[in-house]
Amino acid sequence: MDDWLIAIIKVVGIWVWVLLIAVVMTWVERRGAALIQDRPGPNRAGPWGLFQPLADGIKLFTKEEIIPTKAQKLLYIIGPLLFSVPAFSAYAVVPFGDKIVLGGKEIILQVSDVNIGFLYILAIGSMAVYGVILGGWGSNNKYSILGGLRSTAQMVSYEVPLGLALLGIVFVYGTFSLRDISLAQQGTFLGFLPNWGIFKQPLGFILFIVAAYAEANRVPFDLPEAESEIVSGYHTEYGSMRLGLYLFGEYVNLVTISGIIVALYFGSWHMPYIDLGAYLGPISWGIVSFCIFFLKVSFFLWMFVWVRWTLPRFRYDQVMGLGWRGLIPLALFNIFITALFIQLTV
Amino acid sequence: MNQNPTPQTSHDTGDYVTVNIGPSHPAMHGTLRVIALTDGESLIKVDPEIGYLHRGVEKLGESLTYHQFIPITDRLNYCSAIPNNVSYEMAVEKLMGVEVPEKAQLIRVIMMELARIADHQVCIGILGVDLGAFTPFFYLIIQREEIYEIFEWFNGARLTNTFGRIGGVDADLPDDFEQRWEELKPGVRKANDETEKLLTHNRIWMDRTIGISAFSAEDALNWGFTGPCLRACGVKRDLRIDEPYCMYDKFKFEVPVGKNGDVFDRYIVRMIEMEESIKIIDQAYKRYKEMPADAPLMARVPKVIKPPAGEVYSALESPNGELGFFVKSDGSAKPYRIRIRPPCYMIYQAFPELVEGELIADLVACLSSLNVIAGELDR
Amino acid sequence: MAKPVVKKEYTLSERIYLWEILKGMKLTWGHFWFNFKACWRPGPHTIPTCWQYPEDRTREISPIFRGEHMLQRDDKGREMCIACGMCAKICPAQCITIKKAKRKEGEEEKYAAKTYPAAFEVDLLRCIFCGFCEDVCPKNAIVLGQEFEFARYTKEECILDKRKLLMNYRKAKEEGKLKPPRKRVPVVPAPPKPEKAEGGEAKKSKAAVAGKTKKKPVAKKKAVESAEGTEKKEAAEKEE
Repeated sequence: MDDWLIAIIKVVGIWVWVLLIAVVMTWVERRGAALIQDRPGPNRAGPWGLFQPLADGIKLFTKEEIIPTKAQKLLYIIGPLLFSVPAFSAYAVVPFGDKIVLGGKEIILQVSDVNIGFLYILAIGSMAVYGVILGGWGSNNKYSILGGLRSTAQMVSYEVPLGLALLGIVFVYGTFSLRDISLAQQGTFLGFLPNWGIFKQPLGFILFIVAAYAEANRVPFDLPEAESEIVSGYHTEYGSMRLGLYLFGEYVNLVTISGIIVALYFGSWHMPYIDLGAYLGPISWGIVSFCIFFLKVSFFLWMFVWVRWTLPRFRYDQVMGLGWRGLIPLALFNIFITALFIQLTV
Repeated sequence: MNQNPTPQTSHDTGDYVTVNIGPSHPAMHGTLRVIALTDGESLIKVDPEIGYLHRGVEKLGESLTYHQFIPITDRLNYCSAIPNNVSYEMAVEKLMGVEVPEKAQLIRVIMMELARIADHQVCIGILGVDLGAFTPFFYLIIQREEIYEIFEWFNGARLTNTFGRIGGVDADLPDDFEQRWEELKPGVRKANDETEKLLTHNRIWMDRTIGISAFSAEDALNWGFTGPCLRACGVKRDLRIDEPYCMYDKFKFEVPVGKNGDVFDRYIVRMIEMEESIKIIDQAYKRYKEMPADAPLMARVPKVIKPPAGEVYSALESPNGELGFFVKSDGSAKPYRIRIRPPCYMIYQAFPELVEGELIADLVACLSSLNVIAGELDR
Repeated sequence: MAKPVVKKEYTLSERIYLWEILKGMKLTWGHFWFNFKACWRPGPHTIPTCWQYPEDRTREISPIFRGEHMLQRDDKGREMCIACGMCAKICPAQCITIKKAKRKEGEEEKYAAKTYPAAFEVDLLRCIFCGFCEDVCPKNAIVLGQEFEFARYTKEECILDKRKLLMNYRKAKEEGKLKPPRKRVPVVPAPPKPEKAEGGEAKKSKAAVAGKTKKKPVAKKKAVESAEGTEKKEAAEKEE
């Protein structure tokens, strides 16, 4: 019974937490973009405009829901759902801290420590494409379908380098479980480098981050919703909370991807060179590890914003070219080098 | 599904999709409309449609007096109103045979070059926005704001300047012009520099622009290209040098020339032209300062302007290219006919030619790099 | 049509994407950090390039800005407009309507000249703010002020009648936003043969030239029928 209760608390807690971050992210995105562009950004609603996401939420909820006359109703309605549900559920296997001991019971800070966590992420990540393509097809708009098609091609292509880059990590740490990988990143190697994925897989990290940007449809890979070309891409015809689901889903995706990056490549909840867990009590260490993890996550979330307002956008065929001709050979090369290295050292 | 008209084409539209882009679309500057026949992402045939911003400017000119038409010319190319004003005034002055005082010409040069910088800034900024790079737009537009400030202190308006009068200018440079200009200059240079840093050598930007909608010099001449778009194709034609007006022959400046006539070259040509404009303003202001303070700014023109019957065509190098006014007079106080030769019109004709076989994303890039201004195109 | 072959060699730093991207990110970070620090400054005007408009009105508007119209009074508080109708005639948008009236006995305190406008209407919905009316006004009576907030609820409110125009003047005077008298633009001095001015018509040019350089009695000016040459602006320095 206890286990059930803990599981439910963890699920609800992390769900609310991720949602909260996604909501705050919309604010960070606007304010960050504004500051990068020499303007203040939204600063009317609440202190520093912090209630802006709330105002947006109210607006989206109270707007009339319109279904275009000739849209395919079923597809039009399930599109946003198919997009946002995988986004929310992907976080299940990503840790958000080490562990906490409450009442003599050890609780790991992760919704579920699946031993095939990787595969789960990849599988769930590919689900999102259905939401995009169905929404694009269902809304009966030429721009929408162009956006949907672009998104499909892009997501399918970039799954490959994403998976291959992750394979390098699996080679290094010898496990599919994100918690085990996180735990393995403690300490140093070669005497001075932290035992982090980025130092063991530098090329893999770059490949992963590029592929992750493409998976999340962020600039420079935001062609599915390229505003100046195809209006808003697949969500051109959407309004009210259906649009909100797409937008929130996107930000939740960002949180998940940042979590994965931190868990795999940036030492999860470990500080470099210092093992705080040895000095802190079980409860405080649980909280501190959670904080460290999310500090790192927020850095990568900020990276998404930062990169978005720096770069121009790729073109459709160039994205494909980069994926198939650039990233996949590099990823294969990375795997080859990693395998060779492991073979020689073991 | 079929709410869009099919383009007038003999093409077998069997497997192709007609995409109607515009007139209200984020990338269609103003109210342009393009009906594109697409095969997936690539464009099979492009059919631009114009006239959504047609206001009958030329006909309007026939019922207004010569002076009253000046504010109307503001509304042609609203990104840089001043060259429009000056071009029209020059046409009427040519018809009347009026010699504009030197100091007034210098003020015109200074203001026109400022307008050129502002226009190029908008064009490059929008090109960036259309290719997904939002940030340079803001860096550039802040500097344009400073230029508008100078305009505001010059004669009280920011966008629709109604600059100058027939026979001269309506105001002297403000007393603090030098200070403002010295403050503005590093700002403009810095903004350009930052834009270059963000875009020029960025591989994404290069891939998006180099070789896109390339045009040969011969084709460009045949289609009647002028201005930066022609110079990007490698033709060194600039009315400021070839047919000097307003004392442009007294200034030393370079005319940048591109090679391929693609989006990248147009962008680079515009970038360099801004720097050259700064040089011109510096030289012009130096000459201006050497003039006596009470030197005339207006030629002697009658209050009621009744040019002798006749017709005249006069053109100048506006930021977009050759902007010409044809004025025909029958000796009365109102022009008999006014015809405007906007640079965009000729350039936009070649648009289907330019983007054929490219992708939809390139259509947007090409359109912004041509700097088609709907107000000028449709008149 | 054959497009020219494009060949451009990319340098190594261009080829690998990341180097230039990092350089760009450094630049945007510089802007972010600068503005982030500026955010903490007190007052509404934090980031130097942005004015928080309705609260922050510190942006200096040019004193010669062409905004909402007003009818000026002279220093004795009399209306200066003489209802000559030049502004109505020059206006490209034809937005000014004037009804002329003669000054009666005992109204010298109210009106500066012998004639005055019984009605003076400016249609803001038509006006294009070109500034020709103030340019052509012989008495400097109508000017475009610094007011730029034109939003109104009804169409009637957008038509400025004489009362509103005079009120605009009072408001501007209280706020110290009166427009400085416009500087006269120097004109090319008269050629040796004053009979023939260059240009089409020579008949009235003599009078026009005289008008530009020296003051004329008010009565005579009414004779100047068509006043569409805007360069003229002689009585800018009023009877002060």
